Amino acid sequence: MPSDEETKPGGASLRLAGLRGGGRLSFWLIGIRDLQWRRRRFALAAVAASMTLALALLLSGVGAALDSEAGRTVASFHADAWLVRSGSSGPFTSPAPFPVGWLARVRQLPGVRAAAAVVIGGATVSGPHPRQVNLIGMTEGVGAGVNRFGVVLRRGSALVDTSLGIELGSRLVLNGVRLRATGLLHGRTYFAGVPTVVVALREAQLIAFRGLPLATAIVTRGSPRQVPAGLARLQNRQVVDDLSRPILGAEQTILLIRLLLWVVAGAIIGTFVYLSALERAREIAVLKAIGIGTLALMVGLIVQALAAGLLASLLAIGLETALAPASDLSVAVPTLSYLLLPLLAAGIALVASLAALRRTLAVDPVLAFGSA
Amino acid sequence: MEVVCRDLAVEYVSSGYRIRPFDGLDLEVGPGEIVLLLGSSGCGKTTLLSVLAGILRPLRGSVRVAGVEVTELSARSLRAYRQRSVGIVFQAFNLVPSLSAAENVEVPLLAHGTGRHGARGTARELLERVGLSDRLSHRPAALSGGEQQRVAFARALALNPPVLLADEPTAHLDYIQVETVLLLLRKIASEGRTVVVATHDERFLPLATRAVEMSPRPIVESLEPTTIDLGPGEIIFKQGDPGDRAYIVEEGEIEIVRPRADGAEEVVSKIGPGGNFGELAPMFGLPRSATARASKPSRLVGLSPSDLQPWLTKHALIDN
Repeated sequence: MPSDEETKPGGASLRLAGLRGGGRLSFWLIGIRDLQWRRRRFALAAVAASMTLALALLLSGVGAALDSEAGRTVASFHADAWLVRSGSSGPFTSPAPFPVGWLARVRQLPGVRAAAAVVIGGATVSGPHPRQVNLIGMTEGVGAGVNRFGVVLRRGSALVDTSLGIELGSRLVLNGVRLRATGLLHGRTYFAGVPTVVVALREAQLIAFRGLPLATAIVTRGSPRQVPAGLARLQNRQVVDDLSRPILGAEQTILLIRLLLWVVAGAIIGTFVYLSALERAREIAVLKAIGIGTLALMVGLIVQALAAGLLASLLAIGLETALAPASDLSVAVPTLSYLLLPLLAAGIALVASLAALRRTLAVDPVLAFGSA
Repeated sequence: MEVVCRDLAVEYVSSGYRIRPFDGLDLEVGPGEIVLLLGSSGCGKTTLLSVLAGILRPLRGSVRVAGVEVTELSARSLRAYRQRSVGIVFQAFNLVPSLSAAENVEVPLLAHGTGRHGARGTARELLERVGLSDRLSHRPAALSGGEQQRVAFARALALNPPVLLADEPTAHLDYIQVETVLLLLRKIASEGRTVVVATHDERFLPLATRAVEMSPRPIVESLEPTTIDLGPGEIIFKQGDPGDRAYIVEEGEIEIVRPRADGAEEVVSKIGPGGNFGELAPMFGLPRSATARASKPSRLVGLSPSDLQPWLTKHALIDN
């Protein structure tokens, strides 16, 4: 028998039970022991939830990539302002050509330190499997693609995005015009992963306008205080918004699917914890009957939900890392997402376990007197 | 007295009907005594244990355990009472399957605030006392029925309560394991504890200080037939009453009614002249399952259940 004074038969004086001292942490153990007891089911729930979380993470990466490609593309021009034909909503979505000779007038405008004519359009790379690409033609001097790689755009040369799968030095035919890949670009895609090919302005005019001396935009360093007749001025932000518009629907769909995947992951974990609470009804009744507080019992379930959520999120990060390279689209999961995932998964697991917690509250200790 | 019950009545709802397994029960058990609650299934043995354990609140009456009026305790104090004043051994052991034998015994200690080391030491000591020192880390599934029962006893005694309640402690056990349980109970009582055992295992009788018969005994002796005259609304017997006689309606009409859980009354049947009722309760030693009431001026003949069939046969022959 216990020799401790406190545990002698107490007569009339009753002590309050509950979570005190060493008891507080130890009730974590009941949850953990139950997880060990049901380890197969726990592992299945964690793996199933991790698969949906991995998909959510992948979609988050795709969403982030889509979100950033417009900004990255516009930033690569290092422009302070864009001039497009009046009536055009933007240089990428509605390119409207105008004579390249207008560039001379723009260079004279007050506020403009430098200006370059640009041709923006689409083209097709010929081959056994034709690929749609975004075409950018630019003069030297302005354009990060040129300066960053130290490649001077000459006639017959092209800078191609690596996602096109063309090796450096290889030949490519763009709308019938023969070119050689003299430089590679990384992550230069827009319109949801369509790779970009940058060529010299004259080459672009040949591809897009049969050699006519036309341009679809003028980018400037310094912002012109006046805009010549026939042109409209856009800020970088406006150009980014314009470039993002065509994929807005896709981005919203991705967001919706991500949310649904979170809900499914939560439902899997919630179902696991709920079933556990359901199966443990008699055990919970017995524990209540011998004086264990409801709060202490809930700690056990919360531990299970947290463990399932955390394990699922860790497995999901591993799965996402393994699956991401298989995607054609650039998957750029923000570091913050990796950090937030375990926290969010734990939070969702807790919310999903509310039904199980309610169930625990509702268990009548009288049930303890029943037979198995 | 360690356990004193006065005028105790319990009511619960089953299948939509209000059931009173006992009404007006008195019980006194002193320290060191072993009291058996005997009776068939459904007679209220386990219900009485639930009331003594502070798990079920009675409809009426007083329950004093170790000087504390249990019926007046708040929910929080009841939890403390269940920890400190009563140890419970449940039917079918009801151990936590995911915990080892030692951890099962530690649970009430940890809930009480004992440190982890202290709880482990006490659990080991208790399990050694019940002969399970080599089974500390075994889960219930790896233990025999008798071993599980001994773990259940160790858990019930973890906080050294003055009262031990055991519900069918020999169910699911073979005779060798039963012997161990009987010895254990005797030892527990000899230490000055009050032990209340709900069972229908009469092997406990030599061990017990006293036995309380919870279900009425079947009526086997013959009773003199008696004629009863009733006015409208008069009651012959109430639900829950012990059964003594069967009745034959000679005149008038008898309603058999049951109180429903929602407070309404359900008329189960109406019995007119020539009809009979009420033979099952005295025949099988069950409480009355419904109330019988005259709906109009009536005359009944009450007789032993064993006399009912000959009486009916005889009267049918005379009528013919």
